[in-house]
Amino acid sequence: MRFIFFALLKPMAKTFALFTPDWFIDLASSAISAETVAQYRSLIDYVIWPLVQIALMLFIVATLVAYLVYAERKVSAFIQARLGPMRVGPWGLLQPLADLIKLISKEDIVPDKADKFIFPVAPMISVIAGFTVLSVLPFGPSWLHISDVNIGLLFVFAFSSVGVLGIIMAGWSSNSKYPLLGGLRSSAQMVSYEVGMGLAIVGALMFTKTLSMVGIINQQLQSGVWNIVYQPLGFFIFFTCGLAETNRTPFDLPEGESELVGGFHTEYSGFRWSLFFLAEYTAMLVVSAVATTLYLGGWHLWGVTAPLWGMGPLVDPQTSPNLYAVVGLLIFAAKTAPLIYVFMWFRWTFPRYRYDQLMDLGWKWLTPAALANIVLTGTIYLVVKEFLGPLDDPANLGAKIAMSLAMLLVATPIVFALLALINRRTAGYDIAEQRRRQVMARAERQARIVAAEVK
Amino acid sequence: MSWKKVFSKFLLFDLFKGLQVTFKQQVPSEIITEQYPKVRPVVSERFRGAPRLNLDPDTGETLCIACNLCALACPENCIEVGWENREVVAHGRPGQKRKVLTTFLFDTSRCLFCNLCAEACPTNCLELTQDFELASYTRKSFIWDREMLEHGREIVKYKR
Repeated sequence: MRFIFFALLKPMAKTFALFTPDWFIDLASSAISAETVAQYRSLIDYVIWPLVQIALMLFIVATLVAYLVYAERKVSAFIQARLGPMRVGPWGLLQPLADLIKLISKEDIVPDKADKFIFPVAPMISVIAGFTVLSVLPFGPSWLHISDVNIGLLFVFAFSSVGVLGIIMAGWSSNSKYPLLGGLRSSAQMVSYEVGMGLAIVGALMFTKTLSMVGIINQQLQSGVWNIVYQPLGFFIFFTCGLAETNRTPFDLPEGESELVGGFHTEYSGFRWSLFFLAEYTAMLVVSAVATTLYLGGWHLWGVTAPLWGMGPLVDPQTSPNLYAVVGLLIFAAKTAPLIYVFMWFRWTFPRYRYDQLMDLGWKWLTPAALANIVLTGTIYLVVKEFLGPLDDPANLGAKIAMSLAMLLVATPIVFALLALINRRTAGYDIAEQRRRQVMARAERQARIVAAEVK
Repeated sequence: MSWKKVFSKFLLFDLFKGLQVTFKQQVPSEIITEQYPKVRPVVSERFRGAPRLNLDPDTGETLCIACNLCALACPENCIEVGWENREVVAHGRPGQKRKVLTTFLFDTSRCLFCNLCAEACPTNCLELTQDFELASYTRKSFIWDREMLEHGREIVKYKR
């Protein structure tokens, strides 16, 4: 047992776990005894503290997700001049609890002809994939994130793709037509939008030069500029693809309440259904958190956790590390929350795309735009570096301004022109135009038939 | 395509316009949902609801003179007035025979709240009030008798 721990678990844990914060050691020392704690220090560092962290994280995120449902209901209500949930607790604040009790106590229905093994597994896969991603998200500095993997961003993308597997399995195993259609749509949609999303972040990665989430945040602190300034287009593409990845409106074709009766989760009920719900909102949280990390500077805000114009930071990481961690978490939340609000706002504003429009947007607009973004970012980066010096230097203000202006005023029009060129034949296709073309084609066909008969 | 159209297409003006509309909707003062059992809705001034037979505020006796005009005015025939001729002491003159109201039935399930009965009433006795909670569990209980009309229905208060 000891051998297994030291030979296998310890090196593994060393790569993933951070070090235990002092307050936890103090707490453990006062609860048990200082000697015992010192004796089992490595066990605490590599096993117990990460487990405590994971348990805390799961509890907090699950609660948060439940309240995201509440927030979504409130936002939708306000947009529609309603009040939303008001009855359970003040302003309906205990509604998530009531929902939870309801969902757990509901009957768990498995359809007669459903695949008895895959059907229960599908929601689990969705939820596990969603929660696994949380382990690399940098919610806050030092002890507030579970791990800092050097391929963090790749890990996030890999696992959010696995989440789609759950949806496809649910669609297949239900053995019913609506879920199957939902699953089919989901698979096609994910394949299309994963490409655009993956390409969109490449532009930002040129500046960060690392895939580690903490590394990305620190790079933005050192360079002094959030990546969204350099990558407005990249952020837009990332966010749009993120909408599609999380099955949110206007890309909620797999769910399609009005046409597919709920799509892939039509046959699910009670707790299994709520697992899908949990997965959807977790995915929303993850996409917003990744966007915050990659484009909005993560937990740093100049003036609070970092120096601003020669003044020292309000909260010093050296003197008060715990306060620094909590403030960082709050800043991260303050940056993520507006993005989540935008998700909800979009949902109650835009109608769903038609399937062909979805494919059009994915392959003919977002993917080429992301590709062009990579090429242009690289070119402008090199040019700026050649003439105005390196961008990483915080004192080199001219290069930063030139870079951001060039991305906005040079790169964006070029990308737009390219998109116009690619879509010149189909850009103006609204439904009236399509009908007109159909009518013309039919008339042409008729004329051809008549001509053949005359011959 | 004109330049304006191209611009609005690429800068997604239409989408932003839509977002603007939904964002502006979120004014808390413009919420029209009413918290009904907790907060009573304000009905309009000329709303006509539950009927009532008014009493004389001085003597506490009914104002109805059993003239039957309301029953005659009613297009649905949902009013039934019952009376008898009785000697009454009125205005200090004894021994005069008069119509006196005995029963009054008002079928609220058939009533269309047209207010013709109240307009026909010469003594302003019958009136349609602003009370709108007329729902009931049985058909029989829709027929209001004189007691209910004069003193109002027993209202079961909403409790948590």
